[in-house]
Amino acid sequence: MNCLEFRRQLLIDPRTTEADFQHHARECGRCAEAQLRALAFESSLHAALSVPAPAQLAESILLHQATEQQRNRQRLRRGGGLLALAAGVVLAFGVGLHLQAQPLPEIVVNHLQHEAFVLSMTKPVAAEQVRQAFASLGVTVGELPADISFVGCCPVGRYSSVHLLMPGSNGPVTVLYLTDDRFEARKDFVREGWLGRSVPLAHGTLVLLAHDAGQFDRIENQWRRALQNAT
Amino acid sequence: MSSKQRQFDALVRSLSGDLFRYGYWLCGDEALAHDLVQETFLRAWRALDNLRETAAAKSWLITILRREHARLYERKTPQFADVDEIDVIDERDAHMPEFAGEENVIRNAIRQLDAKYREPLLLQVLGGFSCEEIARELKITPAAVMTQVFRARQKLKAMLGDGEIVEARVHELP
Repeated sequence: MNCLEFRRQLLIDPRTTEADFQHHARECGRCAEAQLRALAFESSLHAALSVPAPAQLAESILLHQATEQQRNRQRLRRGGGLLALAAGVVLAFGVGLHLQAQPLPEIVVNHLQHEAFVLSMTKPVAAEQVRQAFASLGVTVGELPADISFVGCCPVGRYSSVHLLMPGSNGPVTVLYLTDDRFEARKDFVREGWLGRSVPLAHGTLVLLAHDAGQFDRIENQWRRALQNAT
Repeated sequence: MSSKQRQFDALVRSLSGDLFRYGYWLCGDEALAHDLVQETFLRAWRALDNLRETAAAKSWLITILRREHARLYERKTPQFADVDEIDVIDERDAHMPEFAGEENVIRNAIRQLDAKYREPLLLQVLGGFSCEEIARELKITPAAVMTQVFRARQKLKAMLGDGEIVEARVHELP
């Protein structure tokens, strides 16, 4: 490779690792200097192109996807023909029997373990995003707790739910609101090292999960206020 | 969570930032880029079973985003007919601290590049793709890619002048 070819390559791809190119840079001092200048320009170019992505971009994409999935499920539920209905009944009977056999604590702890990455989220989520998540499942909420660091719409077993995380001084508390299924009694439970509480609230059931239950009363009261007039 | 959902989550968390930046430089508008990325991932979700190799995920998503951008442009072109895009962006830049300084000067120069020069450069510098990969994505020959990235850098350097001129522009020197 001669100097002219080297300089041309600098404008095509200054980061190339081709042996000829690297060899010429070692042999020719002036081209090596030109390469340093080209790499500095490349760094500036990369920095200029790297515009910051919006905060919570990934979360908003996942929420968008979960919302669409939910909408599709509702559409399917509403618009299915006789055949779909018949097939659905058969399927629902089979799957339903299986899922209903699973107790709620097992279902929610399984879900939490599948989505363990959520537990490390600490950035606050905008209240509007939380409202939208509830609204996508047909639930209108009142005054929301301020400290929410994750929100997503998740199928939990056979239940539709809004999945939230509230960071606390003794570790985060996972909050799941099963929107259409109201369990009859409020109760505390322990499952695989997790402390939990299920509370019938409005038309659904609120579930709290954490390693420390010290904050459950406060958080339960906050969600009672938020969901007391839920439709 | 299903394994499909886990795969999708991982894709979103690892590649949404890169896709947003790529989308931003394609359309020149943050809100539009956000919509583009959201729509891209939604289409990716529906077609996730077609993704065979994890290593190909980024180029697969970029292909979807480029198609989506083309579709969006077909739909929205009349709305942009009277807008002087560069002026709008420059005005916004002047008021946003993150756009100040040397990066702002370079960004303005990049915006003035023709799309045919800008896009291969984006794929190379932001995407880390080789000339052969860019050629496959843009459906042109590797030689054409080399020419375009060569000219893109040449034009940028001409617009920016030498280092001293950039310094002078950044620091408002005569």
